[in-house]
Amino acid sequence: MSNINTLDKDIKVPKHRDIRSLPGFSWFSLGFFIYLYLPLFILVIFSFNSSISATVWESFSVAWYFKAFANDDIQRAAKNSMIIAVFATLFATIFATMAALAIGRSKKIKYKSVFTGVIILPLMIPEIVTAVATLTFFSAIGLSLGLGNIIIAHTVFCIPFAYMPIRARLQGMDEGLEVAAQDLYANKSDTLRLITLPLLAPGIFSGAMLAFIISIDDFIITLMVAEAGANTLPIYIYGIVRKGITPEINAVSTILLIISIIFVTLSYWIGKKR
Amino acid sequence: MSEDLDLSVAITANNLRKVYPGNPPVVALKSASLKIADNEFFTLLGPSGCGKTTLLRLIAGFEDITDGELILYGNNISNLPPEIRPVNTVFQHYSLFPHMSILENVAFGLRRLGTAKLQAEQIAQEMLELVHLGDYGSRMPNQLSGGQQQRVALARALAPQPKVLLLDEPLSALDLKLRQAMRSELKRLQRETGITFVFVTHDQEEALSMSDRIAVMSSGEIQQIGTPDEIYERPANRFVADFIGDANFYDAVVNTTSENNINYEIHGGQILQSPIIEGITVGDKVTLILRPEKIAFVDNKVKNTLLGKVSEIAYLGNTTDYVISLSDDLTMKVRAENHFDGEPIANIGESVNLAIDPKAMRVLSA
Repeated sequence: MSNINTLDKDIKVPKHRDIRSLPGFSWFSLGFFIYLYLPLFILVIFSFNSSISATVWESFSVAWYFKAFANDDIQRAAKNSMIIAVFATLFATIFATMAALAIGRSKKIKYKSVFTGVIILPLMIPEIVTAVATLTFFSAIGLSLGLGNIIIAHTVFCIPFAYMPIRARLQGMDEGLEVAAQDLYANKSDTLRLITLPLLAPGIFSGAMLAFIISIDDFIITLMVAEAGANTLPIYIYGIVRKGITPEINAVSTILLIISIIFVTLSYWIGKKR
Repeated sequence: MSEDLDLSVAITANNLRKVYPGNPPVVALKSASLKIADNEFFTLLGPSGCGKTTLLRLIAGFEDITDGELILYGNNISNLPPEIRPVNTVFQHYSLFPHMSILENVAFGLRRLGTAKLQAEQIAQEMLELVHLGDYGSRMPNQLSGGQQQRVALARALAPQPKVLLLDEPLSALDLKLRQAMRSELKRLQRETGITFVFVTHDQEEALSMSDRIAVMSSGEIQQIGTPDEIYERPANRFVADFIGDANFYDAVVNTTSENNINYEIHGGQILQSPIIEGITVGDKVTLILRPEKIAFVDNKVKNTLLGKVSEIAYLGNTTDYVISLSDDLTMKVRAENHFDGEPIANIGESVNLAIDPKAMRVLSA
């Protein structure tokens, strides 16, 4: 009985302080979001400007989009970007899936966190360093495969992005299901084919989406590694922008932006799926 | 070890041992030897960490055997991987495949064994009907309640007609009413299929009510194997007596022996009796085990009673537990059925007389 009384006195209920009650917080966050999104917003708006000016609004028009789609250079760059992104995504996702399965499911591999670290490390290396290293390496071994060079380079830096959602999915997956499959006479490859991979699929798709968008958006490494004529969309945009910004560039950038948003959203939704 | 070709024995475990490597290594199972008969409902019972699940996983093949051998109907299966062993498991958390329909789940094992799709689905449907879920085949696992998922897990494990069905605490995630219903359901399934069941639980009531035989386990060892009433009425040691049901334990010394009884003196000078037991003589130190429901309240005209005072009362619905102080530091728990009006037989502080039939006394040599 006496215990209860002493307990009562000792308990201090901490006063919960909501961050929103801090003075000026809402204005601060509003400014933050303006800072983040206003430039993008303006870019999108002016892609629909009928005038050639990138700063003075005239009237609504989608003419720049038609013009961009009709532009041979843009078409070629977009096609290159697509080919590179598709192959880099494919290779990176396969590699990342195998790595995640090996690290997540093998009982023989020791130091699993070290392997994970090594796979994720390229995220932390400054991109310019990777770019220079890749360029030096390619020219040292005399690799000259055109788009192939870029695909190889992109595959490498796409792996960690593909790996992370797959690994997360695998970690959240009940290993008991694979044990249950074995108990029900499924051998190792049946278990992988019928249980592990179907359940891992949302993670794999999510990783692939991320890898795709990272490849589509990459600039520095591509710039270094790309051979003449192997322009991608970001490099084309960079080349044009140096001659002055036109609403045509705004239109292309807006399309890139929309593709990014779609893929990142897809990656998020599919990754969240149970 | 002799080769066991006797087909009335389903599983023979000879000195099974499991050590998990590590620093320090963990001995999950010290050395287990047992025989499980064909068509038997056999239960591994014990507290968590006693090695019962490890033993089950060794039989299923999910863990490598550190030492010893495992024989299934005459075949040494010690080194076979789980997908080759004709043994299926019902898992504690069901482990239904979430991306497959209920029917696909149940047909999974048969399909892997090479049964044609149509036939596998037909058998799966029959299995679902056996567990009263015939209409649920097209649903997905997450559309079913816990109890229904449990029955699907049963159907899935039974569908390939395993030689032995292993059940790893399958009822522990269900609520009380469902658990009780599933007990008779499991018993019925075992009777109807004629498959040997090996059931793991920490719930003594489950074990006592369903099993043909029980192995009580503790700290990686089998303490006793026997029928439910053997385990309860004649516990082999103090652990078994303590784990199964309630018991009073008394350290005692054999005081005198008479023609029919042995008299034991317990701490405080009171005398308890048992029938004559071979090999127990005056002066021996023993442990006496006495179940609380085998002690009766009597009036003071009866001879040879224990005297005490009621010190605690716990009302349990159909029965009431009374803690009786026999002396300053010696108590005895007595369980009595409640009267029609639910009034206690005695109140706290009241003096009572207790009578014990000597035949109710269990004696372990200390």
